[in-house]
Amino acid sequence: MTRIRLAAKLENLEKFINVISIFSDQNDFSPDVVRRIKLSIEEALVNIINYAYPECDGEVEICYRKENDSKLILEILDYGIPFDPLSLPKPDLSGKLLERKVGGLGMHFIRKMTEEVHYRREGDANILTLIFSK
Amino acid sequence: MEFASQKILDVTLVKIQERVDHSTAKDFQNALKPHLDQCIRGEQKKIIIDLGGVDLMTSAGLRVLMIAAKTCDKHKAEIAVAALQPGVQEIFKISRFDLILKVFPTVSSAIEKLSPEAIEEYKTHH
Repeated sequence: MTRIRLAAKLENLEKFINVISIFSDQNDFSPDVVRRIKLSIEEALVNIINYAYPECDGEVEICYRKENDSKLILEILDYGIPFDPLSLPKPDLSGKLLERKVGGLGMHFIRKMTEEVHYRREGDANILTLIFSK
Repeated sequence: MEFASQKILDVTLVKIQERVDHSTAKDFQNALKPHLDQCIRGEQKKIIIDLGGVDLMTSAGLRVLMIAAKTCDKHKAEIAVAALQPGVQEIFKISRFDLILKVFPTVSSAIEKLSPEAIEEYKTHH
């Protein structure tokens, strides 16, 4: 398992995305899947950067590995306030314009772009697992 | 953010030339603002956003579009997007943004629908 751990700041977002997308390219994930991986990481990390550490600075870590030559497993860890992003209500997408709320799409993208997404809390860590298939 | 806008008779065309993510969403909002302000004042009724140069849009970008769509709807203006790249098409589909905005495959098909008068002018110069 390889990992990258950096300060939870927006200026580090590109570094996370670049490392994982290079790894995905090198392991023959298609451009479409790499695009979904990049978007999912961005959405997950922006949530952590904006909300996980309200009182102080913190770090975020992504552990990544390939499984069975066909799957990419990402574990996104933060040590911020306990929070399960999967518990957020799913956005109502059926509503006409005036009924739709403005936010709530980030996690929806992640659910749709991944094969699986899981959350668990271990000790002080929130761990969001994203699984992509080729 | 790289963008350009032009008026073609009664249509405002705004062309966005880079990805719209957390770092550029504010710029995207600022690019649309003067045209949305015109909608609010009743001076503009038709806006088309050319997304041909946008290879990635995150939920931050969709949030800007949602607010723009609500503003236009409130002031009886029409807003459309055109020339979506496949990645942006995908997120529009999964978030059902086809219910929020009119989506066209090309800029000319968008202009043709919103303003048959403007399409001749557009074709003359493109």
